[in-house]
Amino acid sequence: MLAVYIALMVCTMTPVIAMQAGADASVLIWLVFALVLVKALLLVDHFMEMKHAPAGWRLATQGWAVVVVTVLAGIHAVG
Amino acid sequence: MAHTGEATRKHLPGDIAVWFFIFAELAVFGILFIGFGVARGLDPDTFSAGRAALHPWTGLINTIGLITASYLVALSVHRLRERRTGTALLLWGAIAASAIYTFGKLWEYADLYANGYNLGTDTFFMFYFFLTFFHFMHVVLGQIILVVLAVKVKKGDYNGDDMNGMESGASYWHMVDLVWLVLFPMLYVLA
Repeated sequence: MLAVYIALMVCTMTPVIAMQAGADASVLIWLVFALVLVKALLLVDHFMEMKHAPAGWRLATQGWAVVVVTVLAGIHAVG
Repeated sequence: MAHTGEATRKHLPGDIAVWFFIFAELAVFGILFIGFGVARGLDPDTFSAGRAALHPWTGLINTIGLITASYLVALSVHRLRERRTGTALLLWGAIAASAIYTFGKLWEYADLYANGYNLGTDTFFMFYFFLTFFHFMHVVLGQIILVVLAVKVKKGDYNGDDMNGMESGASYWHMVDLVWLVLFPMLYVLA
C-alpha cells in the first residue's frame, strides 16, 4: 500500500515539476495523459480494492478513467 | 472447486447502492470533463491565459492532501478488517489531510476573486469555478462521511464484523479522489 502511495505521489509531482522546469509543452501533455491513467488505475485497483471486485465492476471503474482520458487526449490531438 | 474459491474471493467493496451512486457521479463528472475539453479545443488561447492565472503549487499541495487522505482511508479499512486498533486515528488523520485541500481551495478562491476572477470572467473560469466547486462540495460530503465513520468506529459500532458501512464510505471517498486525479492536471497543466 505504501508503494502505491509513493507511486501516486511521484506521478502527481512529475508533470508539475517538469512544467516549472520548462519542459516541452507537447511532450508534457502526453506525459500528463499517461500519468493520469496510471494514477487512476492504481487508485481504483489498490485503494478502492477493485482488484478483488467482480470483473465487470472493476472494468467499469477502470473504464471511466480510460474513456475520459482517451476522449480528452483525442480532442487534444484533433485540436 | 477452484472456480468456487475464486468466486467467493471476488467482492465488491461496500453496498451496491453506493456503487450505483458512484457511477452516476462519475458519469456527471465525465460529461463535464469532456465539455471542458471541447470548449478548450474551440478557444485554446482563453484557456491557456486562464491556466496561467492559477497557482500550480496550490493545486499540487491539494492533490497531495487528497491522495494522503485516500491512503489513510485505505489503511483504515485494512486495519478494521483485521480487527486491529488505530482505525479511528487513521480516519481522523485522513480528515486532517483532506483539510489541506479544503483550506487550499478556499484560499485559491479568495485569491482569484480578489484579483477579479469569477464565474463570468470567461469560459475557462466558468468551467474552473463550476467544476472545482462541484468537486469541493463532494469533498465536504466525503469529509462528513469520514467523521461519521471515525465516530462509529470509536463507539464500536463498526468493529470488523460487518465491513459494508466502512467500505461504502471509503469507496465514496476514493471516488472523490479519482475525480480530482483527472481534474487537477486538466485545469492546472493541460489547459
